[in-house]
Amino acid sequence: MVSKTEETQLNRLENQVDNGGGGAWEYLCLVRKLKVRRSEKVLKYGLSILNDPKKRSALGPEEWTLYEQVAIAAMDCQCLDVTKDCIKVLQKKFPESKRVGRLNGMLLEAKGSWAEAEKAYSSLLEDNSLDQVIHKRRVAMAKAQGNISEAIELLNKYLEIFMADHDAWRELAEIYVSLQMYKQAAFCYEELILSQPTVPLYHLAYADVLYTLGGLENLQIAKKYYASTIDLTGGKNTRALFGICLCTSAIAQVSKGRNKEDKESPELQSLAATALEKDYKQRAADKLSLLTSALRSLKI
Amino acid sequence: MAEDLVLDTAIRDWVLIPLSVVMVLIGILRYFVSKLMRSFQVPDHKIVKEGQVIVRARNLRAAANFIPPKSFRSRRVYFSNEENGLLFVPKGQAQNAQAQMFSDPNMAMDMMKKNLSMIIPQTLTFAWVNFFFSGFVAAKIPFPLTQRFRSMLQNGIDLSTVDVSYVSSRSWYFLNLFGLRGLFSLILGEENATDDTQRMMQMSGFGFDPSKSLSAEKDGLDIVQHEWALPKFEHRAEAVLKKLVS
Repeated sequence: MVSKTEETQLNRLENQVDNGGGGAWEYLCLVRKLKVRRSEKVLKYGLSILNDPKKRSALGPEEWTLYEQVAIAAMDCQCLDVTKDCIKVLQKKFPESKRVGRLNGMLLEAKGSWAEAEKAYSSLLEDNSLDQVIHKRRVAMAKAQGNISEAIELLNKYLEIFMADHDAWRELAEIYVSLQMYKQAAFCYEELILSQPTVPLYHLAYADVLYTLGGLENLQIAKKYYASTIDLTGGKNTRALFGICLCTSAIAQVSKGRNKEDKESPELQSLAATALEKDYKQRAADKLSLLTSALRSLKI
Repeated sequence: MAEDLVLDTAIRDWVLIPLSVVMVLIGILRYFVSKLMRSFQVPDHKIVKEGQVIVRARNLRAAANFIPPKSFRSRRVYFSNEENGLLFVPKGQAQNAQAQMFSDPNMAMDMMKKNLSMIIPQTLTFAWVNFFFSGFVAAKIPFPLTQRFRSMLQNGIDLSTVDVSYVSSRSWYFLNLFGLRGLFSLILGEENATDDTQRMMQMSGFGFDPSKSLSAEKDGLDIVQHEWALPKFEHRAEAVLKKLVS
């Protein structure tokens, strides 16, 4: 995850480069380090550096990394001839390289020839069956072809070996949510919370899934996770505030007559509602009436 | 008995400095040779999986209080289950790991290569030092030592009345051997093959590594008492919101 300082730095560099100031190389390095996806800009500025022989030689050995970065960005923007040129240069320099082989596989993927790409990836996997990136590319291919069940299967097999890869868990959770397999999604989110307990995003997503599953116990747990999200974000997360209100009213509905809930946090719902109103007043004052009517209907 | 021996500055010029320079150069040479000779070691499936299992189990232990009790318990059973739990290594298998490592030809070759690259330069340099630089006092250690160290530090010097602080060049060799590690990591970058002492420590704890750490994790996991931290969060959220709203 990109931290706030890194994000501001990235935006600053981006503005600087956009407005004609120098610093394209630092921008590209930062993009590569943070693994953000800014393919158009990378393509534009990367090509401007690569096509200028003076700047290219100034890079030294980093030139090849730049070729790889520009090739991937070009594939993202569907400029396949640029990609082919970059890959040709890289292949001339590193004829037996696995990284270039992987770029070739990605090019086949971008062109849409799935079978050939699959063949390329399997041959690369034969050499080194523990290459994480290639496994993940196969999953991405299955997902792009629309074959979600195979994507799930591949991802599960990948996670059996590399179970500490939290990006993979996140992808799996999102796939499950898209397929409405909420119990499995909840498991994935639990894994994510275990590996990074202070990231509010995972708490929020987990709470959403639990709320969707329904049932008194899940609703209570969801309410707790919404509360932890509020705590971790300092009360600024609107979705969590809504979540609290909805959860409390849902719990009240489900346990009508059994009043054992009140001992925990009776004021939480009213506080959340007040916070929401204040937020809306500040940011979207014209929608405030909608908010108040919705909240009022919840309190039934 | 503490007479001050005046040591010839020629000793410094022709013994101490050349010895250090030679050791640095040999270290650099060894680094490049090991880089050339390094064969690409295909990582083993099982070892990678075990490493990842350990990381996951450690995460579970660390953040156990953030997930609901039921999920924690089901995960704990998954890990430490008697029959097919991930962390459970039956006694028979633990022994096999080391035997397997020695019988696997690739790994044996690798180990031999690493040992060779470590032992041969050390032996050669030591013999060279002994041959050329023995029989005289090389340096004076700034702090006083007991008589026990005499045999170790004053090997070439056959006078028993010389203060133990005056040492032979052999001890300067050993000092360099252990002390130049820091210098090497400066000039050669982090990954240098001259890290003998580290490698020696690694070799002793070799074969049992995976199974021991697995059982250690399992024990740690069994101990953990799950205390769900989430209810506290509700109160904290309340406090946060109160501050925000007021």
